[in-house]
Amino acid sequence: MIFFDRLMAWFYFCGKINRLFMKRNALAVILLFAGLVAVSCIKEEAPNAEADIESCTLAGDVLNRDPVIENDRVTLFLKKGTDLTSLSPEFTLTPGAMISPASGTERDFTTPQEYTVTSEDGRWKKKYKVEATTSGITTRDFHFENVRMEGKYQIFYETNAEGEEDWAWSSGNPGFAMTGVGKSCTDYPTYQSEDGYKGKCLTLTTRKTGSFGAMMGMPIASGNLFIGTFDLSSALTGQPLSATKFGKPFDYIPKSLHGYYKYRSGEVFYKQDASASDGLKPVPDKKDRFNIYAVFYESTKEMETVDGTNALSEDNPNVFAVAKIEQDEAVETDKWTLFEIPFKPRTGKTVDADKLKAGRYSLAIVFASSLDGDRFEGAPGSTLCVDEVTLEYKEPEE
Amino acid sequence: MKKKLITVICAFAAAVSLCGAARAQSDRTPGIIRSALMGLEYEVKAGINIGGASPLPLPEEIRRIDSYSPMFCFSLEGDIVKWLGEKERWGIVFGLRLETKGMKTGARTKNYSMEIIGDGGERVKGNWTGMVRTRYHGTFVSIPLLAAFKANPRLRLHVGPYVSFMTDGDFSGHVYEGYLRENDPTGNKVEFEGDKRATYDFSDDLRTVQWGVQAGVNWKAFKHLTVSGNLTWGVSDIFEKDFKTITFNMYPIYLNIGFGYAF
Repeated sequence: MIFFDRLMAWFYFCGKINRLFMKRNALAVILLFAGLVAVSCIKEEAPNAEADIESCTLAGDVLNRDPVIENDRVTLFLKKGTDLTSLSPEFTLTPGAMISPASGTERDFTTPQEYTVTSEDGRWKKKYKVEATTSGITTRDFHFENVRMEGKYQIFYETNAEGEEDWAWSSGNPGFAMTGVGKSCTDYPTYQSEDGYKGKCLTLTTRKTGSFGAMMGMPIASGNLFIGTFDLSSALTGQPLSATKFGKPFDYIPKSLHGYYKYRSGEVFYKQDASASDGLKPVPDKKDRFNIYAVFYESTKEMETVDGTNALSEDNPNVFAVAKIEQDEAVETDKWTLFEIPFKPRTGKTVDADKLKAGRYSLAIVFASSLDGDRFEGAPGSTLCVDEVTLEYKEPEE
Repeated sequence: MKKKLITVICAFAAAVSLCGAARAQSDRTPGIIRSALMGLEYEVKAGINIGGASPLPLPEEIRRIDSYSPMFCFSLEGDIVKWLGEKERWGIVFGLRLETKGMKTGARTKNYSMEIIGDGGERVKGNWTGMVRTRYHGTFVSIPLLAAFKANPRLRLHVGPYVSFMTDGDFSGHVYEGYLRENDPTGNKVEFEGDKRATYDFSDDLRTVQWGVQAGVNWKAFKHLTVSGNLTWGVSDIFEKDFKTITFNMYPIYLNIGFGYAF
C-alpha cells in the first residue's frame, strides 16, 4: 500500500513538475536567447570585398553591341569609323569600389587598356583588360597554337599581325572549374595537345563532372570550344544552354569551313537520369558523336547573340546560314581526316550589304566532343581533336 | 553507433527507474544512510538540452539569423556529491552524463568562407554570399567535476569544468539562393537561384574531445525529487584545430533543465 501511495505521489509530483518545467522551459529559452543576443548581436555589415565592373557605357551612339563584361575583361564592339584614340568609358562598380584610372578618363584604346578595381574594404584588387574594337573576327585560319592559363585551365586565343592576343575562344572550362574535378589543364574538357596535324591542336574530351556536377543537374561536360562568351553565372542557374553565347561580329559572308579532325567515342554512353546518384543512366550499345558547326546570323536589339537554346533552331529568324557537319561524315577515326562543310543559306534570307558594312552580322564556330553534350548526354572519354581550320568567306566587293 | 547508444540509454533509464522503485519501498536503505553520514549523496537525473553551437561574438560574415530550432536533445546523468567539513556547506560534485546536443539554423551570410568537398575528393573553395542552412547534432559522454555550495538544505549551487567525449557527430547543411566567388572575392561568380543548392558536410572535422565550464542550481523540491538548471558553456571550438574552412570558432552553449531522484 505504501508503494502504491508513493507511486501516486510520484505521478502527482511529476505532473506538477511538468507544468513547472514547461513554464521554466519557455522562460529558459527566452533567457538563453536574451543572453545570446546580448553577447552576440549581429555585427555591423563589413564593407564589400568584391571588385567588379558591373556595367560600362560610352558617350554617344558608338556601340555596335552591348558591352561584353566578363570577370576580368570588358570587350566593346564599336561602330565602324569610331575614333579609338580617345574614348572615355564610364563604369559602375560593386558599391563602394574604386577604379583606377577613374571612370570617364579619356584614354587611347588602339591597344587594350588596363584598369584596376579596388574593393570597398580595400583588401581586394582586380585587374580588368578593357578592349575596344571596330572590326569583328578577322582571322580566317585557326591553328590552335596559342593558349594562356586561367587558373588551372587553358584559354585558346588568336593573334594579330604583331603576334599579340587579338581575341580569345570560349569554352565551358570555367564551369568545369567549379566542379573541383580538374586537377591539371588536361583534366579539363577543353585543352591543347601536342600531336596536332601541324604543331599543336585543339583537344576536346567529354568528362564526368563528379558529385558537384551531378548535384547541379549537369552530370557530364562535353568538351567544347566556340567563338563567343561563356556566361558562368547562368551556367548554374538552371539554363546551361543559355550560358553559351555564340558569336562575334563578322563583316563578310561565310562560304565554308574546313579542317582536320580525329575522333574516338568513349566507352559507355550515358543519358541524364536525375534519380541515379551520379545523375547518369548508361545507354547500352550507343556510340557517341561529335559536332562541328558554324552559324552566321544577324544581331538585332531583340537577339544580340544566339545561344545554345536557339543557334540551330530552324525557326530562328535571325539565322542566315548554317554550316554543320553531316553525321555520316562525322565518323570515328584515329587518322587526321579532312572535313569540309559549306554554309547553307536559310531559304528567303538575303544579306543586307549596308547592315554587313555596319557590322550587324555575327558568326559563331562551335566544336563539341559530344553531339548532345548540351543535354548532358554523351560518353565520358569521347575525344575530338581538331587542327588547321580555315574559314572561307567572300571577299568584300569594293 | 546510434543503436548501441539507445540501448545503453534504455538500460540506464531502466536501472534508474528500478532503483527508484526499490528505494521507494524502503525509502532509504542502510547503505544510503551510511553514505549520508559520510557526507555522500547520490542522484540520478534526466533533462533536456536547449541551445546551440555559436561563434562568439557573431562574425561580421553572418548578416541575419533566419531560423533556429534547438532539436530534441536529452541528457541522463548520475551524480555523486561529497560534502566537506563539519557544516557540509561546501562540497564536490562528480558526475557522468550521457547527452545529445544539437541545433538547426538558417542564416544569411556575406562573404562567408566555404570549402565544399565532394564524394570523389573534389574541392570547391570560395566566398559565399547568400543563405546557409546548418544542422549540428552530437552525442557525448560528459564528465563534470564541480564545486558545490549548499545555500540552504534544499538549494545547491555548483560550478566547475566538464570534459565531453563525442561518440557521434554531424555538422552538415547546404547553401542556396546566393552566389559563390571562386577562391576569393575577385574570382568567378556563380549564382545559385531557385532550387539550386550545394551541400556540405564537415562532420569528420568535429573535435571528439571538448571541454567547457558549467554552472547551475539544484533544488530539492521534495525529499527525493530535485529540479535542476545548468548552463554548459563550451570553451573549445567544436571543430578540430586544423579545420580552416569556417574561419571563426564555434562554441556549444546549452541550457540543461532536468529533474532527478536524490537517494
